[in-house]
Amino acid sequence: MSKATLPRNTTRQAEGMQYGDVARTLHRFSGAVIIAFVLVHVIVQAVRHVPVFAAANAPWLKTVQEQNWVHAILFFCIAFHTLYGLKLLAGELGFTIRYQTAFWGIVGVSSLFALREMLRYAGI
Amino acid sequence: MPTDIKMRAEIRRYDPGVDAEPHYETFEVAGQDNWRILDVIRSIYERQAGDLAYQFACRVGRCGTCAVKVNGVPVLACQERCKPEMRIEPLTPFPVLRDLVVDRTEIEARYEQHAYAPQRKTEYAGGPEAIDVKLAEHLCHMGSCLACMVCVSGCPAVEERAFDGPAFMLKLRHMAEHPADSGNRLEQAIDAGMLECFGCDLCTQLCPADLSPAQAIREFRRDMIFGGSKKHE
Repeated sequence: MSKATLPRNTTRQAEGMQYGDVARTLHRFSGAVIIAFVLVHVIVQAVRHVPVFAAANAPWLKTVQEQNWVHAILFFCIAFHTLYGLKLLAGELGFTIRYQTAFWGIVGVSSLFALREMLRYAGI
Repeated sequence: MPTDIKMRAEIRRYDPGVDAEPHYETFEVAGQDNWRILDVIRSIYERQAGDLAYQFACRVGRCGTCAVKVNGVPVLACQERCKPEMRIEPLTPFPVLRDLVVDRTEIEARYEQHAYAPQRKTEYAGGPEAIDVKLAEHLCHMGSCLACMVCVSGCPAVEERAFDGPAFMLKLRHMAEHPADSGNRLEQAIDAGMLECFGCDLCTQLCPADLSPAQAIREFRRDMIFGGSKKHE
């Protein structure tokens, strides 16, 4: 067994979670969320602060911005995308982290950021 | 004690000489819960579909011949346990010869193309060559790849990009670390699409031989950054 592999049950390979698939999908999803957020942010600033767009000032924007789940997802995505990207970089620089440990570690830390946002909105 | 169970196996059937399109055929199988996928396939072949094409050799997970996809996940049929519901398909992305048998011509051609034998600077002098014990152990482990193509079939980069696949990268790394080899394996790996790898480690998780092609790719990439590939030099 190499330093990157884990002991596992080879008779139940098709039953377990495919960590690589989930991590890659989450990485792409979180990247898309970040891009969408930046785009929306730019549009919102234009609508709110450029006089030409003042007429289009959407009253629902503030409500959307103040949703705790929106912030929780956004913070999770930023943290996950950054940490997973750093994990990939670290691997290429010679620091090997086992895929399962890395996945749960990154999901755990990212969830803490999401939880913090939820608690902040709850006033805790 | 194994218990009797009823299973439902959906098998992808395709005979290029007869069928216009691949189709799925469902079989009800009575067996035991300790059966492997290969036992299920053999049972279907013996009792229900004598024209079912499949292949196997060692039955102990050492030859890699029986690799198939079960419920979308590439596995060795002789190792994976049977399930109450299962969809059995040939390995992707390889061309299908018939039913569960894939054409390995391209795979063999790639192995040949990459020249997976030490390329020596000087002619082999004969006799045993001194080698560090730890390195020998490491090379021996890397050389235990079954060439079952489970990693290639599971690799998302192979599916999306111009990438030969993790198994070939592992073999190239094997040669890159071999003391007798003088070939430029890093360049070969880059030409074979090494930079397209997502680093997702799915190949590591799926490898029936407990190898890590993803680690081999990371080591090649580290060499790209810091230079050098021979650990023993």
